[in-house]
Amino acid sequence: MKQQNQRLEEHLITKKPYYLATGSEIEIALAAHKNGLPLLLKGPTGCGKTRFMQFLAWKLKLPLITVSCHDDLSTSDLVGRYLIRSGEAVWTDGPLTLAVRHGAICYLDEIVEARKDTTVVIHPLADDRRELPVEKRGELLSAPPDFMISVSYNPGYQSVLKDLKPSTRQRFVALSFDYPEAKMETAIVLREGHVTQEVAESLVKLAEMTRSLKESGLAEGASTRLLIQTGQLLSSGIDIHTACRAALIEPLSDDPELLGALQEMVSSVF
Amino acid sequence: MRPATLAKRFYDLVAPDIPNEWDVEEVLDPFADESEAICEAALGHVPVIWPVSHSLCYDFLRLLPKALRTLSIEQVPRWIGITLDLYETKGLRAAQRFMQDDLKEYLAKLDGSGGLPLSIAGKQLLPYIRGIARDDLRIAVSRQCFTDTKTIFVPDEISFSENIDENFLFYKLILTFQWGFIVCNSFLSSPNKTRDLVDFFQGFASPHLASSIYQNLESIRVRVFLNQELPGLMRAAEKHIFSKLRDRFHKISPLSALQFAIIVNKEDMAALLSEILNSNDRNAFITGQASPHDSMRITEALCQDIKQEQDTELLVKTFSFQGVFKLSTVVTAGKIKEQQMGEELSDLMATHLLSLSKKELAKLMQEDQDKKSGNILAESDISMIVDSEFAGTAKEEPDAPLLVTINNQEIDLPPELEAFSKTFLKEFGHLPAKFISSAAGKAGKLMLEQDITGSTKTEQTPEGNAGIFYDEWDYRRQGYRKNWCTLHCKSLTPVYSSFIRNTLDKYHGLTIRLRHQFEMMRSQEHFVKRQREGDDIDFDALVESISDTKAGLPGSDRLFIRLQRDERDIAVLFLVDMSNSTTGWINRALKESLVLMAEAMEVLGDRYGIYGFSGMRRSRCEFFHVKHLEESYGDKVKERLTSITPSEYTRMGPAIRHATNILQDVDAKARLIITLTDGKPEDYDDYKGQYAIEDTRHALLEAKTADIHPFCITIDQEAKEYMKHMYGPANYIFIDDVRKLPVRMPEIYRALTC
Repeated sequence: MKQQNQRLEEHLITKKPYYLATGSEIEIALAAHKNGLPLLLKGPTGCGKTRFMQFLAWKLKLPLITVSCHDDLSTSDLVGRYLIRSGEAVWTDGPLTLAVRHGAICYLDEIVEARKDTTVVIHPLADDRRELPVEKRGELLSAPPDFMISVSYNPGYQSVLKDLKPSTRQRFVALSFDYPEAKMETAIVLREGHVTQEVAESLVKLAEMTRSLKESGLAEGASTRLLIQTGQLLSSGIDIHTACRAALIEPLSDDPELLGALQEMVSSVF
Repeated sequence: MRPATLAKRFYDLVAPDIPNEWDVEEVLDPFADESEAICEAALGHVPVIWPVSHSLCYDFLRLLPKALRTLSIEQVPRWIGITLDLYETKGLRAAQRFMQDDLKEYLAKLDGSGGLPLSIAGKQLLPYIRGIARDDLRIAVSRQCFTDTKTIFVPDEISFSENIDENFLFYKLILTFQWGFIVCNSFLSSPNKTRDLVDFFQGFASPHLASSIYQNLESIRVRVFLNQELPGLMRAAEKHIFSKLRDRFHKISPLSALQFAIIVNKEDMAALLSEILNSNDRNAFITGQASPHDSMRITEALCQDIKQEQDTELLVKTFSFQGVFKLSTVVTAGKIKEQQMGEELSDLMATHLLSLSKKELAKLMQEDQDKKSGNILAESDISMIVDSEFAGTAKEEPDAPLLVTINNQEIDLPPELEAFSKTFLKEFGHLPAKFISSAAGKAGKLMLEQDITGSTKTEQTPEGNAGIFYDEWDYRRQGYRKNWCTLHCKSLTPVYSSFIRNTLDKYHGLTIRLRHQFEMMRSQEHFVKRQREGDDIDFDALVESISDTKAGLPGSDRLFIRLQRDERDIAVLFLVDMSNSTTGWINRALKESLVLMAEAMEVLGDRYGIYGFSGMRRSRCEFFHVKHLEESYGDKVKERLTSITPSEYTRMGPAIRHATNILQDVDAKARLIITLTDGKPEDYDDYKGQYAIEDTRHALLEAKTADIHPFCITIDQEAKEYMKHMYGPANYIFIDDVRKLPVRMPEIYRALTC
């Protein structure tokens, strides 16, 4: 138990993460937590979903256990398994069980990447039962009031095989995220990217330009995260055109014509 | 060669024509002093040019001596070849212009340097300007640069410099500058105001001069704006373009300072402007505070100072990147937008009126029914009053309430409608009564229809071919029109041709690559853990099982790992738009992409069907079979695929409903309908605009409810406006060039299903 507490401590966020609210998402999330409701965050990549969870965990003073979902994730990976330690079988809680047991926040990032048979394990946790059956131990864990489950996904992906089942989807309080409006995004890039106001404004302008290119074949425009990364390269002394190319343009596309057009935008803006 | 000999030779060459003696003398005289070789060269080309155009032949003889100062005799035949090509494709004027003015450009081309054609630069320029403008602007070709605010017109080739990069930069500058006029509001905000601007110029003795002055003043504003907005571009333009233009610049009048100010730096701009403007105006311009109204005021003042006797045409000019202001095209483009938005507004309003209770609606229309003998509300009798004070203060008070009155009855607008009306007001400054009254008209008509129909209004279907009935969604009444459309399933007649073979030859490399890629997708292998039988031991499972046993639990016997091929189990229907707008290249590209897709699908093993749809009116929606889901891709299918030809209209709703019906009975892990189209849904009858979009959207929602994923591949430039609403933001893709479709389609399918 001591060891588990220690594991849990590691997930506690002690330093206030920087998060700039764009709407009433914090109030909604706090109300959802108060009422024991699960959260579904949807939005494009790099718009601040994970940062929001960190902020929420910090605000609630609860540990945040994040699981990045992938298609090999099994139920045991979430719930837990027996392991042999010095010849003895020892039960080890999975991240979900750990969170339920100790009233932490469990955040399943990119839930659509996990197989559908895995995700059904969260169903009893995500409705008013709020319980987790641990079959191997014959246990039925009831979640304490502090426990919260939260999942995220990006609805912009065009794969038909990656979608949430309605039965999963309809258990959550959903918060829709998008890139913040220009002024806020500038403030974020300014702070996190350590650049000047002028550079931050230009980076945001550039991002808006790339985001309007969906009709020209760009799947997704530059995210706030990419802008911050570009800013960080800049503040480490990389020249602006190189930084934009490496951190902003190349990650967006492999199409030579689009890359050319994006490069032209950069050279126009800076 | 003596003039007489020259003339005699010439008459012999052009016989039996007898040209005018004076003309011949005039063009041949200069050759008297030329060498024998040049005279022979000149005469040698006469038989080639004379039969094509006499006038061009005279021009050739007149210009040849001068041309030979830069051209060698060996280069003359090629020069003539291009001239004749131009004559045949673009007419005499173009050919003459080429001979006269474009010789330098031609020489540059001979050197291997020179012009950059739009066909090459456009691929990067289109996404560039769309990104910069954050709007779906288009690029089109025209001799002069201008914009109508929706499209930017540029020359089909730029030969500003011999350096290709500088020519590309020039294109960028033109596009960005024209966009600058749009954002800086140089054409004023609405079609009516643009028309005022036209009248404003017409009020001057020389409208041309007034327009040039105004455009230069606006260009200064745009330059200042671009300095702030796109400093990188302006720096590059300064280095490679403005500096050269400055060297070539000739000051033709004091007013030229206005033009020159556009291509100088900030300090010089201030100095130049103080020659013409007072200090307040100058400061407003160089700090970016000036407005189009300042430009109009200053234009007026400057024009007053000009003396009558001056040649006003020459006082001030514009640079080619500034282009010209074609205000009439701006007005037309604005009107089209106003009309489209107006119709949308009228549809929304009609929907709202219908959603009122019958009592309210009847009350609204009571007066009219008293007056009229007919039942249908007359459009002219509806009065519409938008609070006029509001219209004037729309910009200052965006939250002010909007009042709409019909027959003295005040109507509350729902938030969506109010927001749309406000956008409309902001954009055009007024809400035209005709749209509101037509909304009332539509509502009245529909109300009557609702009362009467339900039972009696079904059209008779042609006897013998009953067809399948489908409902159609009427968004105005928020309900279905029962059994509204009759869909007839037909099979395309197989046509034998070499199309398939040619396509496979044409895309030979691509087909091989696609096969390989799709094969990789098919053999998506992965290890499945925790199996009762398998190729190897699953150590994780084994450890867990031993641990379980130690913990006193029964250990699992699922201890093996097995390599498993992923069952894709996908069924997809390709629905091809066969409306007559797909004639020509589009139809060809659609078919080519289907051929490549079918080849790839054969490798992949996903079940797929191909159907076309078209038809005319609700009683004859046609659904053409090319390949059923379970049918093999044999000769008959290939022949039917070849025979896909443009037919009639695009009533998309019934086709999607029928495809949904087909897929509904298919058992698969994922089911998809992929529609290939070139435009909006539209039919001959009232299946247009929002009605058609809403019905299609509903048909798609029905598909989604049946757990079928609809997806659309469109080549319509205006797709963004309605596709997002119809399919949802992530469920469509726009392809800007139809020629790319065959290459892109398999890629899209791959991204969709992996």
